[in-house]
Amino acid sequence: MRKVLFYIPLSLFLLLTLFLLSGLFSDPRERDSAVINKPLPAFALADLMQPEHIWTPEKLAGEVFLLNVWGTWCPTCNAELAYLAELRAQGVKIVGLYYELPRDPTFDAPFDLATLQQDVTQKLAQQGDPYQFNILDLQRTLSLDLGVSGAPETFIIDANGIVRAHHIGDINPMVWRGKLAAVYQQWSKP
Amino acid sequence: MIVEAGQLALTFAFALSVLLALVPLYGSYRASQPLLLMAKPLAIAQFVSCLLAMLALIYAFRSSDFTVINVAQNSSSTLPWYYQITASFGSHEGSMLLWVLMLAGWTALVAIFSKALPLLLQGRILAILGLINAGFIAFSLFMSNPFARSLPFFPVEGRDLNPLLQDFGMILHPPTLYMGYVGFAVAFAFAIAALMGGRFDSVWARWVRPWALAAWLFLTLGIMLGSWWAYNELGWGGWWFWDPVENASFMPWLAGTALIHSLAVTEKRGTFKSWTVLLALAAFALSLVGAFLVRSGVLVSVHSFATDPGRGLYLLVFLLLVIGGSLLLYGSRMHAVRSQARYKLFSREMLLWGNNIFLLTACFIVFLGTLFPLFHKELGLGSVSIGAPFFDQMFYYLSIPFALLLGLGPWVRWKQQQLSPLLSPLALVAVAALVLALGVMATLQSVQANLALMGLLLGAWVGMSALAEVMQRARQLGSVKQGLGKLNASHYGMTLAHIGFAVLVIGVAMTKTYTEERDVRMQAGDSVQLAGYQFTLTEVYPLNGANYGGQAAELDVSKDGHYVTHLHAEKRFYRIQRTIMTEAAVHARLSRDLYVSLGEELPGNAWALRIQVKPFVRWIWLGGLLMTAGALLSLLDKRYRRKQLAGAAQAGEQYA
Repeated sequence: MRKVLFYIPLSLFLLLTLFLLSGLFSDPRERDSAVINKPLPAFALADLMQPEHIWTPEKLAGEVFLLNVWGTWCPTCNAELAYLAELRAQGVKIVGLYYELPRDPTFDAPFDLATLQQDVTQKLAQQGDPYQFNILDLQRTLSLDLGVSGAPETFIIDANGIVRAHHIGDINPMVWRGKLAAVYQQWSKP
Repeated sequence: MIVEAGQLALTFAFALSVLLALVPLYGSYRASQPLLLMAKPLAIAQFVSCLLAMLALIYAFRSSDFTVINVAQNSSSTLPWYYQITASFGSHEGSMLLWVLMLAGWTALVAIFSKALPLLLQGRILAILGLINAGFIAFSLFMSNPFARSLPFFPVEGRDLNPLLQDFGMILHPPTLYMGYVGFAVAFAFAIAALMGGRFDSVWARWVRPWALAAWLFLTLGIMLGSWWAYNELGWGGWWFWDPVENASFMPWLAGTALIHSLAVTEKRGTFKSWTVLLALAAFALSLVGAFLVRSGVLVSVHSFATDPGRGLYLLVFLLLVIGGSLLLYGSRMHAVRSQARYKLFSREMLLWGNNIFLLTACFIVFLGTLFPLFHKELGLGSVSIGAPFFDQMFYYLSIPFALLLGLGPWVRWKQQQLSPLLSPLALVAVAALVLALGVMATLQSVQANLALMGLLLGAWVGMSALAEVMQRARQLGSVKQGLGKLNASHYGMTLAHIGFAVLVIGVAMTKTYTEERDVRMQAGDSVQLAGYQFTLTEVYPLNGANYGGQAAELDVSKDGHYVTHLHAEKRFYRIQRTIMTEAAVHARLSRDLYVSLGEELPGNAWALRIQVKPFVRWIWLGGLLMTAGALLSLLDKRYRRKQLAGAAQAGEQYA
């Protein structure tokens, strides 16, 4: 009995290594999204290209779609544009949520809509345009309510405006086929 | 060319460390004196090689050789020269080389200062250190080479050192902390060598004690410097954040503190052996686990290094070999070692046992709090996070009984203590502590039952009890004056460290209770009142540093119409990394800090400022410094410097 006692530290350590090993292969930043299975938070935000047009959750409802948080400043977002455009060609409805970076009042130029529109048009012409339209989240309020931690992030919203999936990081063929396509199919059935 | 020489030196160091791991071990197996004697020159040669490698890396940084990836990513030609040197250990790769250098340094020190040890034990200890060295040098060389070049393409300018690391505290913090971490490797090696030989006694404990103390000294100082750096550089006025990386340094500290106390029992009374050995293994094991946590990306932390699963896997396998192997040896050997000493319930042995229980409980709580999110997630239960309130509350509950015991401990004799002779001096100390605590509260015009009162009571109890105990011992050795001269250095070291703990407790409790802060919008000429001080913003003007721009704010502080001081706070914008850093203005006094950090520019030519008055915050670091000084004083004790102790030579022979 006494002999066994002295092996306790070893057993505890081996148990710890198991956890550390599995921890090594999972992303510590990955969290369960708090918005899944909840309706889109209330918002009223302007269209990026036609600022006189205001989007609200009600106007978006009716059809399952992907809400893609992105910005021209974000290299990963730019990289996924081509694949998203391919998805659009297959009939997937994608709405962009343009995430504008906070500006330092001391060091950065003030916000200018015309410059941004020009940037976006140019980028989409270069990389491919997956978007039906873009919603401009200038103060990042909707992104905050959705629990966005960075760009790119993508949500799948069903026809009733309920969030069904939240993906952090870019969408590539592997992510789409392995994770998101199934959810999209499930909720796009009438 | 010099960079390649550095790479070569590191490769040599690897070869030497492998030889150091194998040759003396084979020598101990064959009982061959010439092979055992090889250990010392190998250890020293290994250290010299590592030193040359580090110097080559520093040279690469000083000469802004941007063909070296590490230099290009962590330095720039506009960086001041002293930060170019510290940038050499600011990245994962560089800090790993520093780690290796420190480890090789400790190994060389053991080789030089272990003349008194039996040759066999000496050979085994150095072989184990060689093995650990080999593991880390290989990691540096093959998994995170600091000398890797990006030729033929290289940038014309570097990406600059992370501005967070451009601070004086950062020059000192990593080297001291690493000295502490890897210092526990020595105690670890002593424990393994003794497990191989199967003998533990007072002599063994006396050999280990100074090494464990030295490692503890550096770790204490390193943690304290880290806290001081965070206070000055992060701009929040906080001094401890329970961040996983901080916790990774706190766990070996707690285990190390338990170790130096448990070693005292093993040395003086020849008991607690299996406990002491386990702690010696645990202190280093926790350092290694900490290194793994920081460098593998398993946990989310503000200051973990860039992550790479390959590195994590290497470290995990290394951990498994070193810690798993040592615990296996422990399990198979230790049960045969028995302690004979007898002691009563009220004895110093029991109180030190209590000390160990509390310290290890604290260590376990930190461990659990740090790793619980990982356990929770890997068990498929979703993600959680554990914040400072959990740790704060747990440490509050733990520190009350711990401090009560700590005040009592030094008075109690080994084996057995009668309660009655202690009652009157301890009652006196308790009354004095109560009077002192209430007196301080009365001067602050805030007599109430709060955290500060508890902190003052416990601090005064521990501190005054430690002082009174020294006087009492001195009186027993003749007159107080004679006695104070006769007490040995380690006794003073203990007293000083305990007073350091008392000072720390008071600092934490007072700061937590009485800190006042305001976030204000100010224009030049505006004044705000906080805790009796009047802060007037006199001007804000643009800054122009070597590698940064930004703004500086000048403030005048007065109290009751009298000028107190002038404060200079900066908000720096580092051009290359495009990051904003806060350089807080601090006016420090023993009784309080005035702390101002400059925030954003607001519309209307105004600025956001965070103003804090933090009473007794200096005491937190002063406590840490006193503990460090206590450890230093103990190290200077004569008995550790005697070359041969009576009986040690014969005892040593039996280690075979």
